[in-house]
Amino acid sequence: MENYKISFVINSRKKELEVPANMTLLEMLREKLGLTGTKCGCGGGECGACTVIMNNKAVNSCLVLAPEVDDSEIFTVEGLAQGRELDVIQEAFVENSALQCGYCTPGMIMSAKALLTKNPNPTDEEIREGISGNLCRCTGYEKIVEAIKCAAEKMRG
Amino acid sequence: MKLAQFQYLVPKTVEEACQFLVEYGPGAIVLCGGTDVVVRMRDGVIKPEYLVDIKKIPELNKIHYDETVGLTIGATATLNEISNSEVVQKYYSVLSDGAHEIGSLQVRNRGTLVGNICNASPLADTAPALLVYNAKVKIQGIQGTRVVPIGEFFTGPGSTVLESGEIVTEVIIPPITDAEGKYFKHARRKAVDLSSIGVAVLVLGKNENEISEVRIALAAVAPTPVRAKNTEALLKNAKITPELLEKVKETVLTDISPISDIRASKEYRYEISSVLVKRGIEEILGM
Repeated sequence: MENYKISFVINSRKKELEVPANMTLLEMLREKLGLTGTKCGCGGGECGACTVIMNNKAVNSCLVLAPEVDDSEIFTVEGLAQGRELDVIQEAFVENSALQCGYCTPGMIMSAKALLTKNPNPTDEEIREGISGNLCRCTGYEKIVEAIKCAAEKMRG
Repeated sequence: MKLAQFQYLVPKTVEEACQFLVEYGPGAIVLCGGTDVVVRMRDGVIKPEYLVDIKKIPELNKIHYDETVGLTIGATATLNEISNSEVVQKYYSVLSDGAHEIGSLQVRNRGTLVGNICNASPLADTAPALLVYNAKVKIQGIQGTRVVPIGEFFTGPGSTVLESGEIVTEVIIPPITDAEGKYFKHARRKAVDLSSIGVAVLVLGKNENEISEVRIALAAVAPTPVRAKNTEALLKNAKITPELLEKVKETVLTDISPISDIRASKEYRYEISSVLVKRGIEEILGM
């Protein structure tokens, strides 16, 4: 089967790749680019563990085909920290102990990032809606909501 | 599980997309948001040889309102674009609510209204709204264009009037004023769930407890999303009283034919459908 040549921006860097049609964005990130921060939970758009930001919107990378990424801009959890300095949202998750096993965390953080970029002052309800597509099986939602609230406050300064 | 192999095609025009569909026949499937197509491929339910991605067709990317034509929603407009659209919220709130109820934020950022109806699930959350607003579906094929009322678009679970080589290019909703509506999604959890029952109620010409018309549509209670014709007839130019609403609850049962499945039993669907129709009318009238 033929490969498809795609060019895109990943975490602010231009990239060109040749990908098969049946590769998902999630597989491309993990297997072709070594960006294993993005996790595979259900692989069917239910759990949000694979959430990345594509053209400024949170999407399930398991449901995006690699050839569809052509001409787009992708932002993954690896794109948040500046060198060794964590992003405000990552920092807030640490400070608020907003994780237990950590598997849902990269997806949660990317959903939070998409939310706060659009809405710097969300209500609790808006935060809950912003992460409604992300499942946490340790059921740590309260602390996650707290962390996102905290991050929002810090970002507003 | 890895997806099976297929070829990925990116037409630039609707004509080209239709050409691909005709050329490759049943092995070719239209792809837009992928929130249904990719899931079904992964589950092995469908095994397309060709995916025809329509996202790069510029004319399909629109949400446009005009006072005479009404609302036009292009095939590639996403559910979030629709539910966040000011004109949709202002004139067609039942639709913005229905679109908002689907899947999760991530799914709505990719999934489309046209994909939702072409999928033709009996429980499609946008279908009840489209039914009460008398939407029309514009279909294009090699032979030309045709327009089908939404009430005739669905032919059964997973099937529509679409012929091979045809695609839905837009959904058109006529202008409507003096209407107030509600959409209830009854599901097991608030997000990322399929509807056990979906109910849209639209009241027209409301004057205190008198109304000129009520349009009611339900999802997940029949082989296709349906209008509640008998109940609507009962409510034509009616004065709404508690007694009439009891009759409404009984009549709703004659409009639907639910089955039991993993999400709800037949009996439960009958019960909740009549409760939600009554509740919709009461809430709209402020009773």
